[in-house]
Amino acid sequence: MKITVEYRNNKIELEFEDSKVKAKDILKKLNLSRDYAFIVKNDEIVDLDEYITKSDKVKVINAISGGKF
Amino acid sequence: MRKCYKCDKKAQVYLPQHRLAFCKDHYLEWFDIRVEKTIKEFKMFYKNSKILVAVSGGKDSLSLWNALAKLGYNVDGFYINLGIGDYSQKSKEFALKFAEKIGKTLHIVELKDEIATIPEMKTYDNRPACSICGTIKRYFMNKKAKELGYDIIATGHNLDDEAAVLFSNTLNWSIEYLKRQYPVLKEENGFIRKVKPLCKISEKESAMYAILSGIEYIEEECPYSVGATSIDYKLFLSQLEEKSPGTKLRFYSEFLRKMYPILQSYEEKVELGRCEICGEPSMNRICSYCSLKMKLQAKKEKTV
Repeated sequence: MKITVEYRNNKIELEFEDSKVKAKDILKKLNLSRDYAFIVKNDEIVDLDEYITKSDKVKVINAISGGKF
Repeated sequence: MRKCYKCDKKAQVYLPQHRLAFCKDHYLEWFDIRVEKTIKEFKMFYKNSKILVAVSGGKDSLSLWNALAKLGYNVDGFYINLGIGDYSQKSKEFALKFAEKIGKTLHIVELKDEIATIPEMKTYDNRPACSICGTIKRYFMNKKAKELGYDIIATGHNLDDEAAVLFSNTLNWSIEYLKRQYPVLKEENGFIRKVKPLCKISEKESAMYAILSGIEYIEEECPYSVGATSIDYKLFLSQLEEKSPGTKLRFYSEFLRKMYPILQSYEEKVELGRCEICGEPSMNRICSYCSLKMKLQAKKEKTV
């Protein structure tokens, strides 16, 4: 299954072998840890065990950042 | 399906280090209360203090500004336009838009008018961009906050930032830095009081607060921060955190509780004077900002 996600202002198409995809599979595919990243599905933050379908609006947030004051 | 710890609604947020799950409204409430508790724990400031939040347009500074305003503090924003192309342009727009949304003042310093943009300075100075940027930001934050009549500067440093710096300072046994690693830097010798009210809030908690509060922030990273060592340390600490939730909070909090007091007995002989040119506090005759400005001027004249 192919799922398009928004990540840091870019649209990325991810391809999965399985037809059922969970939020945690998306993080894994992008090599992101649940400690600093999460998934927003249809404007709600979701549990990583929640299923994602093709029609969902998915945004991936990576909270890690570099320099500050 | 996890349910909110406070009500029966479906939880949007799960915090493994606290073993808590919350719906949107109760998470936002939890976050504000945690910030308020941190302010009180470290006696950062009071309801009548005049606070200036250093705003970058990112999730941490805007979440902090939002929380402090919601908690009823007297708080405005301060933005420095570093002149880093598209990145600075966008981050300034986010900062301005947010200031308008909450009806607060955003003071702006344009580096190109004061000295030069960061990319321009980088062509004249061999130091890493983050080092030049740090000098410039600290200088203007201190100077402008005093000029504008504020008592406090609040920055959006979060738990991950503090744990990464603590880790780096411990690896190098940088006693001088460890001695000063506290969420409050007192006002003294011409320096204004600086505080970090998000020091017990993780980077992810801050991003979730921004998203659930509808705060629009710049998601892109500063182009100069790519490959920064601090990110490597954060990734390393994240691996430990995933295996054992609460590691970062314990590392930082226990340092403050057990090690910080011991370090205060360590003798330090640093005599702070005033810069002969601008009058700001400095360890040397001329402060690092003014010497950078002089160096730039000299190099510019040479190339003309």
